[in-house]
Amino acid sequence: MKNQLCLRQFLFLISMLLMLSGCWDQTNIDKRAYVVAIGIDKGEDNKINISYLITNPELSKQEGASSEPAYEIITFPTNDLISAKNTANSVIAKEITYNMLGVIIVSEELAKEPEFIRYMYDVTKDREIKRNKTMIITKEDVKTFLTENKPKLETRVHKYFEFIIENAKNAGLIPDFKLHSYFSITESDAGLFLSPYATTEQVPGGKYTVGEDELLAGELNIEGDSNTQFLGSAVFKEGKMIGTLNGEETRLTILLNETLEMGEIYTTYSDPFNQQYRISTRMMKRDKNEVKMDFTGYIPVIDVTVPVYTDILSTHSMETFDNGKIEQLKLHIEDEINKKLNNLIKRTQEEFKGEPFGWALIARKKFWTRHDFEKFDWMNTYPNMKVNVKVMVTIGTFGEQSKLPDLSEVRD
Amino acid sequence: MDHTKGKLGFREFLAIIIITFGTKLTDNTPTGLFNKVGSAAWITIILMCLLAIIPIYLLTKVITAYQDQNLVDIIYHLLGKYVGFFVIFVLWLTETYSIVLSSSMYTDIIETMYFVRTPTLYIYIILIGVAAYGAKKGLEFIGSTAWITLVGLNLALFVVLVLTFYLGRLSYLFPILGNGIGEIIKEGASNASIFGEFLYLGFIVTSLRSNNVYRKGIWTGFLYVSFIFILSLIAYIILFDYVSIVHLNYPFHESIRYIQLGFLTNVESLFLPFWLVASFIRFSFYLYISALLFGALFKINQFKYLVPSIAILIIFLGLIPEAPVFSLINFREKLVYISTPIFYFLPLLLWLMAKRKGVFKK
Repeated sequence: MKNQLCLRQFLFLISMLLMLSGCWDQTNIDKRAYVVAIGIDKGEDNKINISYLITNPELSKQEGASSEPAYEIITFPTNDLISAKNTANSVIAKEITYNMLGVIIVSEELAKEPEFIRYMYDVTKDREIKRNKTMIITKEDVKTFLTENKPKLETRVHKYFEFIIENAKNAGLIPDFKLHSYFSITESDAGLFLSPYATTEQVPGGKYTVGEDELLAGELNIEGDSNTQFLGSAVFKEGKMIGTLNGEETRLTILLNETLEMGEIYTTYSDPFNQQYRISTRMMKRDKNEVKMDFTGYIPVIDVTVPVYTDILSTHSMETFDNGKIEQLKLHIEDEINKKLNNLIKRTQEEFKGEPFGWALIARKKFWTRHDFEKFDWMNTYPNMKVNVKVMVTIGTFGEQSKLPDLSEVRD
Repeated sequence: MDHTKGKLGFREFLAIIIITFGTKLTDNTPTGLFNKVGSAAWITIILMCLLAIIPIYLLTKVITAYQDQNLVDIIYHLLGKYVGFFVIFVLWLTETYSIVLSSSMYTDIIETMYFVRTPTLYIYIILIGVAAYGAKKGLEFIGSTAWITLVGLNLALFVVLVLTFYLGRLSYLFPILGNGIGEIIKEGASNASIFGEFLYLGFIVTSLRSNNVYRKGIWTGFLYVSFIFILSLIAYIILFDYVSIVHLNYPFHESIRYIQLGFLTNVESLFLPFWLVASFIRFSFYLYISALLFGALFKINQFKYLVPSIAILIIFLGLIPEAPVFSLINFREKLVYISTPIFYFLPLLLWLMAKRKGVFKK
């Protein structure tokens, strides 16, 4: 009797195993085509041209190197992101999946269309596209971007996007906004959304600038095998692209925006002791910005104090610093950043008529209800606000060797 | 002879409470709140908890005044044969209706978020089938399953919450009053039936080891559930911001798709089994209660045999709604408006009657 019961239970458990296979939603990983980047270009009428960058998973195998290429690119016109999966199957043998999607790339032309936001909401409908991905804006067509982009050392193309975004973000050259921010910023209608700006088209000869980061993607003169540049950001207002910020402005935005994390930024300033040279510094944020807002007056006032921690890395004027000179240097850097910040704020107020600094989030604390805040109309009030910026520089180390020889003695 | 054999202890009772109420914050219960009060949903929950204390207190007082009698006997004793029958019938109806709605919703979650190709009917059959198996096995079985899985489920939930808090921004909580204080009070008062199932816990009081277990379990469970409810609602807002949250169907599932566990990116498949186990326990308990009430109404002593028939009924009713995402939220709102007055006034009525009949004096 007891044996029979055991047997019955055993049979029951065995039959349960059948359920584990998942019947309808069962998929074999080797029967899927993994799209790692989706490109969206403007198409004819209301259509879009979609490009798929499909990776070859065989490449990750350790044994038996495959002779197949690392990835495949296809482009075709379609109505939306989701039905495109099926259309692609007329060319691609395997089932298309967005599970391994890393980036969504959009051409500047389409991003500037007022209709662009309609296509973006497909992303929230498809369950395979997650909201923590990055959106990249390209100067040229995405189709051209994807075919021209040939990273020499990162043959596994999904790793390439992951790494370059990660490191350009840490250098402050591109903003760190996720796809979800596009929706949340657009929906709350109070700020500007920034997206990394990239291109494979280099301006012939590049653009000359005094500093090293006052450039937009394509303007940096780089010779060699890699031709893709991630530099600067595309500015979105109400879901539509309205302009760009160059590398320096992007870095300053990161400095002002508390919601963006600032890495270690290497940058140069003019030397206060010898105008001919520039000193290079490493900037870090150790403390938070202090933002005070006063909405009681006729003109709302924002007071921002930005603490910056700076290491001096090289001084070509061969100056050895003492306390007085450090103070002078400090004032000089503060002054320079201050000027740049004021220019940037002025530009956002006059040109973009909105702010990408996340101040709306701080302003929200001043209001009790959503209704009050929406009545205040942050986006339309911002251009008329008075913004006072104060930079406080703390100077840290002077590199491994802090003293430099006197050149006149050396050359003597 | 051990008299406590086959009865639930404190920990099993507590585990049942935590799991049946805790799973609510993973379905569209928060969505309903966010729709109405925006970012102040968590304040609404605090208000709801405060309001819920009174009925729960009154009910506990009435129930603990009796020995070895569950809420069915108490209702019959206090309200008489006919009114009592009617009240229990209404309770059974709302309970069964709420199982139909929530099971339909859970099926929708599984279908839209995880198993897109599997036909709804099969998802439904498996969900309710497993739950019916649990309910048929009895309360003891449900209790011990709940207790065994409790630690794992809570651990999973807290991992989700910690990661969400890590990624989220506290400034998304502002403007702190959301859609205004009037809306908070209105919704807080009319949605209190989120805690309405505390009524149904009174029906299993004879299966508990003692009245003391009941009292301790109810209050500990209530505190814990309120705590995780507030925490999760805050977590959803700080992750998605106050406008976007309104557009999401199932904030919990959207959150676990958003977060990352270090280098692991697709973590939702890791949390899905935990959530499924919790859902199975929740529906087992609901089905058990539904069968128990039906048995009490029509004097069926072996009410466990009713479970399969009720389960089949639920599957067929639950398959009816078209476009479940939208229709269910409407149905749920109606249910909330019906069951909230019951939750407020039934305990009060019972308490008044008990006072008149001098139950407390014994």
